[in-house]
Amino acid sequence: MKHPEDLLSALVDGELTATERHAVTEHLETCPTCRAELTEITIARDTVRDLPMIDPPPGLIPESAPARRRLLRPVWAWAAAGAAALALVIGLATGPGVSEPEVDLETLANRHTARLVVQPGIQTVRAPAGGG
Amino acid sequence: MSGEAPGTWEEVARRYGQKIYTFSYRLTGNRDDALDLAQEVLLRVRKGLHTYRPGSFEGWLWRITRNAFIDETRRRKRRPTVPLAEVDRGAGGVAPPPEEVLATVRLGEDVQQALLSLPYEFREAVVLCDVVGLTYDEIAEAVDVPVGTVRSRIHRGRRMLREKLG
Repeated sequence: MKHPEDLLSALVDGELTATERHAVTEHLETCPTCRAELTEITIARDTVRDLPMIDPPPGLIPESAPARRRLLRPVWAWAAAGAAALALVIGLATGPGVSEPEVDLETLANRHTARLVVQPGIQTVRAPAGGG
Repeated sequence: MSGEAPGTWEEVARRYGQKIYTFSYRLTGNRDDALDLAQEVLLRVRKGLHTYRPGSFEGWLWRITRNAFIDETRRRKRRPTVPLAEVDRGAGGVAPPPEEVLATVRLGEDVQQALLSLPYEFREAVVLCDVVGLTYDEIAEAVDVPVGTVRSRIHRGRRMLREKLG
């Protein structure tokens, strides 16, 4: 077999048929020139593959829809909001007999949810971009 | 991935936007041209998505991308401004700001310059293979050449790169 040249890159990339792969690997066993070439092009290949992906400037990629973001809020944030609201209602119901204004449960839950959302420690968690 | 339905334009942009921009940067060598090219690609995707038929979505997408690059290069040749991938960085003797120097180092500037020095066909094949991650078949479809030509271009491109990088 003459020097396979172009097939060496295809070998590294897993792009050869079984027959081609067999012929090239057999040739490599007896050809130091091609073994050296294989090393060189593998270095070049890895060098380019190691280049980082580049973040585009803001505005190129459309943001996710707001409704979608709300769904990404962690479940525990909703649970915490509910628990806080419930605890407050129980506290009001069993507390000292001081006259308290009437409190609507839904309003309370909404207020506490809002408070939890704006607290710095509780943030929307975005999943990492899928590697496609 | 190749056979999957692409979804809406926004989904395509979110899924491939960074890859398209990175491909554009590696092909053009500067951020402004990369942004122009990536915007043009996303515009073409938006206009043409309804014409996509199930098959190799990546082949379709990267064919649009390389056609946009070629069209833009031709347009600039007709009305010369600053040619894509031929920015004279030394002109005027004005040093780039430190943050730009730092950014270019982080982006692998020596490798980038070596890529830019390759003839277009070889640069394109190497970037589609090693940056975008397409198979030889997908590259052949995107570039509209036989797989044997893709093999040859990738191999010769890598060999030239190795010589330039020492």
